[in-house]
Amino acid sequence: MSRARILLGSATGLIIVAGLIAAPFGLKPYGIYILTLWAVTAIAAIGLNLTLGYAGQISLAQGAFVGIGAYAAALLTTHGWPLGAAYVVAALACFAIGWLLGYPALRVQHHYLAFVTLAFSTLIYLVLRNEEWITGGIYGISNIPRPSLFGYLLRSPRDFYYFCLANLALVSLAAWWLIRSPWGRAFVALRENPVRALSLGVDTRRYTLMAFALGAALGGISGVLYAPLVQYIDPTPFSLLLSLNLLLMVIVGGSGYFFGPFVGAVVAVLLPEWLQSADRLYDALGPLSDVMRFVLPPDALKYVAKHYLVAYAIFVMVLLVFRPSGIIGFFQRRFTRRKPDTPPAAPVTQAKVA
Amino acid sequence: MKKTLIAAALATVFAGSALAQSGPVKFAFIGELSGAGAVSSTNFRDGALMAIDEINAKGGILGRKIELKQYDTQTNPGTARSQMQKAIDEEPYVILGPIFSGIVKVSMMLAQQAEIPQIMGGEASDLTQQGNAYLFRTSFGQQVSMPKIANYMRDSVKAKNVAIVWVNNDFGKGGRDNFTKEMNARGIKIVADLSTESGQTDFAADVVKAKAANAEAIFVYLNEEESARFLREARKQGIAVPLIGETTLLGQKVIDLAGDAANGARGHVGLSADIPVPAVAEFKNKFNARFKYVPDHNGIKGYTGVYAAAYATTKLGKFDSKALAKSLHGMTISPKDEPGILLETTWDDKGDIDRISYIAEVVDGKQKITSELPKLGK
Repeated sequence: MSRARILLGSATGLIIVAGLIAAPFGLKPYGIYILTLWAVTAIAAIGLNLTLGYAGQISLAQGAFVGIGAYAAALLTTHGWPLGAAYVVAALACFAIGWLLGYPALRVQHHYLAFVTLAFSTLIYLVLRNEEWITGGIYGISNIPRPSLFGYLLRSPRDFYYFCLANLALVSLAAWWLIRSPWGRAFVALRENPVRALSLGVDTRRYTLMAFALGAALGGISGVLYAPLVQYIDPTPFSLLLSLNLLLMVIVGGSGYFFGPFVGAVVAVLLPEWLQSADRLYDALGPLSDVMRFVLPPDALKYVAKHYLVAYAIFVMVLLVFRPSGIIGFFQRRFTRRKPDTPPAAPVTQAKVA
Repeated sequence: MKKTLIAAALATVFAGSALAQSGPVKFAFIGELSGAGAVSSTNFRDGALMAIDEINAKGGILGRKIELKQYDTQTNPGTARSQMQKAIDEEPYVILGPIFSGIVKVSMMLAQQAEIPQIMGGEASDLTQQGNAYLFRTSFGQQVSMPKIANYMRDSVKAKNVAIVWVNNDFGKGGRDNFTKEMNARGIKIVADLSTESGQTDFAADVVKAKAANAEAIFVYLNEEESARFLREARKQGIAVPLIGETTLLGQKVIDLAGDAANGARGHVGLSADIPVPAVAEFKNKFNARFKYVPDHNGIKGYTGVYAAAYATTKLGKFDSKALAKSLHGMTISPKDEPGILLETTWDDKGDIDRISYIAEVVDGKQKITSELPKLGK
């Protein structure tokens, strides 16, 4: 890695981090809410990236783990427990359940594994909906309180945003360390060639289970933050659709790249919102808009805003057809001129356009 | 150059402040424009659009035109919350929607904090029980419709044992819980309690179970398509006991889908485009002509909701969201004063409504009203 590249990388990183910290001051509560949702979703996507991107184990159950985490947080905090307790319960429960879910992965791979995890996801959804005595069923759980930190209640959108951003930072650091540790190397070995990994003395059995358990635990932590963010939960958001959406984030962002989930979450959470207000682009540009109008007629933008889900779906399809290694993979190749040291996993056909 | 720029800027500022007083008044529609709730919400939205265009054609409210901004919840609570925040950041005068009770639940807190009246379509009974002074219904909550159907079950059907078939979503579950409570209060036994899935196609097993329970009547509380499938299966298996429903079962869409099997179904109709009131029939024709489909009760809800806000504002004589919410509590709007309300409607102190409703039966593929139930408050 050349010195110039390191400089460029750290400068970009610093600008992005500074932007994330400064953002709430230029945004209305709606904008802050969306950014918070991005941070929360990115945590779950980082978890799935460990399981899928690094260890190569496809999982359609990440949404279910977010659900388990969210219900743990909702149930505990509405019964007077602090959110800290929810972290412990959700992370441990998801780690344990994820570990158990890893066992089928020892026997089945690829599409078959996808179906096993899909069944698990459906199972969790049904439990959340039908076990009314604990989950409240389809009525859900309302009035989930925002957490306090050292006695300070994080009630305002901005405070809670910083809280979630700090969580994301901690999770990112942990994931960064993990990927560079022998564990991370073992994950990649497992993905690239399980037989060779085994012959080199990697305990593939343990690392497969670990990949599932760690990914699931991060899903749980994401859920712990989701519940106090929305302040009302019911089973609907944790259906299979969320798992597919998280899978989409990992693939679109760049599966097996550290920054993939961050970018993927931008695409899945922020892009639909931006497209929805595409027709107001010229209001924001000011004098520049007179030039832009010749390039892109306002009527086209109005059309995009009206059919934003269609525009979004087309964008994702085009991206995956032409750049199967995702956005980060695309940039990495363009700027380094050599093959990335961690090539992306094979594109997954089940990616669903939400 | 500099001077002209400053002048232009000043002009914009003044124009802006002048606009705030005489420009259009903002209404926000937030609803399930995509996802599972798309049909109900599109109905509600189109009804609201029609009312807004009619009011604007007559010069608007107090001389100001209504401008409607639309926000899509995607039938997803997380998105609903963000869209509600987005709507409120724009400082609308009134919020219309959402329609699904679960989506209302996740978003109503924000409108309450912003002190903006929210005229919505949810029917779950607990929505108005939480002391939210800014939430208003456009149709009966289940705590109103279920006692009506329970009285009918006791007095007209004279059943001692009933079976209930319900759909397991927030609408069906809420209805089932309220119905069960009302049955218990009247000493009527529920001999079969059958939960079905939204989108279920095969009701054979459920009909067999209902039949085996020897109920004297079956209460069917499903969404439109499922209702029709259930009616067909019941006919096929030769069920002879009365099939009782609430609004949906007797709607034109169910009758069209179920064909002959719908004949004989009866029950309570809270609100529908088929009720024998000339104003409603006229609404149905206008709606059909403009949007090329027949509205259901959600279309009426959106339409009358806008007229209620417009009427109350005109009475108030000013645009004041907080005062509007206050004045809607306890207000009765009659078609004599505001034809757009279609049926005389009263809002109580909780935001629940009171209106006449009907007992109906399906005869020869048509909904036939057999009797009229007066407003509860009369």
